[in-house]
Amino acid sequence: MLGPVSSKIKSISKLKYDEIPFEHWGLTATQTRRITEQKDHSMRDKRMTLKEAVTRYIKDGINLGVGGFVNTRVPASIIHEIIRKGTRNLTLSLQSNSICLEWLAGAMLLDPDRVSIKRVELAWWGYELIGIAPLWRYLVTNRIVETDDYTNYGMSVRFKAGAMGIPFIPVRDHGGSDMELVNRGKMIECPFTGENIYLLPSCNPDVGIVHTTAADMYGNARIFGALCTCPEISMASAYTIMTTEKIISSDTIRRYPNLTEIPYVAVDAVIEQPFGSYPGACYGYYWFDMDHLRMFRGLCDDFSKTGKKDGLKKYFDEYIFGCETYDDFLEKVAGHKKLRHLREMDGGQPIYTM
Amino acid sequence: MPQYSAFEMISFTGSRQLEDKKIVFVGTGLPIIAAMHAQLTHAPNLYMIYEAGSLAPILEIGMPLSVGDTRAGHKACYLKGLCAVFELAQRGFADYAFIGGAQIDMYGNIGSTIEGDYYNKPDIRFPGSGGAGAMAANCGRTIAIMALEKKRFCEKVDFITSVGYGDGSPDYRIKAGVMGSGPYRVITQQALFGFDEKTRRMKLLEVRPGFTTWQIQDLIEFELIIPPDVKEMAEPKEEDLHLLRDVIDREGYFLKRVIKK
Repeated sequence: MLGPVSSKIKSISKLKYDEIPFEHWGLTATQTRRITEQKDHSMRDKRMTLKEAVTRYIKDGINLGVGGFVNTRVPASIIHEIIRKGTRNLTLSLQSNSICLEWLAGAMLLDPDRVSIKRVELAWWGYELIGIAPLWRYLVTNRIVETDDYTNYGMSVRFKAGAMGIPFIPVRDHGGSDMELVNRGKMIECPFTGENIYLLPSCNPDVGIVHTTAADMYGNARIFGALCTCPEISMASAYTIMTTEKIISSDTIRRYPNLTEIPYVAVDAVIEQPFGSYPGACYGYYWFDMDHLRMFRGLCDDFSKTGKKDGLKKYFDEYIFGCETYDDFLEKVAGHKKLRHLREMDGGQPIYTM
Repeated sequence: MPQYSAFEMISFTGSRQLEDKKIVFVGTGLPIIAAMHAQLTHAPNLYMIYEAGSLAPILEIGMPLSVGDTRAGHKACYLKGLCAVFELAQRGFADYAFIGGAQIDMYGNIGSTIEGDYYNKPDIRFPGSGGAGAMAANCGRTIAIMALEKKRFCEKVDFITSVGYGDGSPDYRIKAGVMGSGPYRVITQQALFGFDEKTRRMKLLEVRPGFTTWQIQDLIEFELIIPPDVKEMAEPKEEDLHLLRDVIDREGYFLKRVIKK
């Protein structure tokens, strides 16, 4: 059943790797469906505080699906609260991200009894223009976390398969690269055309975390700007925590139902959190805060080069453990003038919340 | 000739490779600059895809600093998510992949995942494939920007992230199940490379004025194909540098970046 490339590819690069038997890192599509079937599917008020949502859904050992893309519409406020609560042995599933992952990694390096990441399946971990992610490099080169590599399409479409309720999905990438050897996909011969085609397992996280442009209290959400993979992650996950810039009325949602990117059934907790993606960007509201990302990245870089944790510890004590809420964090770290500047940098991109 | 930097030469050369009436799937940084330069000069009907979800944005509020940047979605004609735009490529709507990488071999296989040959405990870990692996698989032709150094142009890469011609066999990409035709150009500041149609091996196309072909070969671990008709690389003119510096990257985010070793 395996395509011919699978055996031939081994001599092309220098790669050596451990052969690890296949295992689902999160739920299967079927298990996720069974959980969904047991839920109350009524339209009920799902608003709660971040603290309530994180306490209810974030448990040790879960597979966490992280929304957004690099510095864009990332669920930063949810990660902030997850670190404050503490959670161990996480499996992270995502396409590309920056600050959310480095925050979790920093928390783990400071106190692995509070926060720890066991493994990561992803396409990319870094800050783009601002630089590589020092803690990601540290975790992998010191073999602190297990990794599984896909392309951005691969991870996104794995969530899509999860959202479709199917166990795998065929794709036209990964084949012939070393990801074919190390990741958990498989090359098969298409039963209809006879072509070699790569299959990826669905990704169904225990909990998905996303930030959206606007949503009603039931969780029907609009997203403006790039959707990233947020609709798919929400639909694929057994439970979804959603922060949103603005709660809007259900009448507003029903006026333009085509604008709903995530339906309420896929959402379990709704939290209105303006600037919820800060220091990332949220189209129509604010641009990313390059200064803050650079500052935090610098602290991580210092740690990875010197092994000294002072700078990181001070940051976490001040900006994460020293803040009861995300609003406290925003006030401390950014302040009105900074947030106003970030709004101006967004340039007032057109969004529709009426 | 005016003075220009390495990044300016690479961006200008990248622009020259992009034909009008095509779609280019761009990675962050110099590919964006090259595509913007092409749009402003010889290719006004060239459109870009940005992997967070946009097709053909109008970049009038500034150069995107990231492929997920708000600026990359501005006035797009289609703005969805990653699945949608990668499926445009998988379906055959993207003519070029424009990517970068850390290592490349003679068949255009590119590594950008690890340095050191043991996946489970590498010497250096890079961010990962990101979109590059999918772009190199399924866009029509792959253009890559690389730094011309022996450790980067190597016999064997540590990890193939973006598939090229594999082992060079004619059906490698077919068996790999990927749809694009594969490596097309490799751009460095000193030379431009293509690929030999028969052997699928890397071939020298152009050399920057002041460099000889053997100087280029000297910076490469594998044996290059050096045809008799190697050309001189065109250099950016004043108006190109004006576009690059004062119109496209006016804040100097990419072109004025200092590379830290």
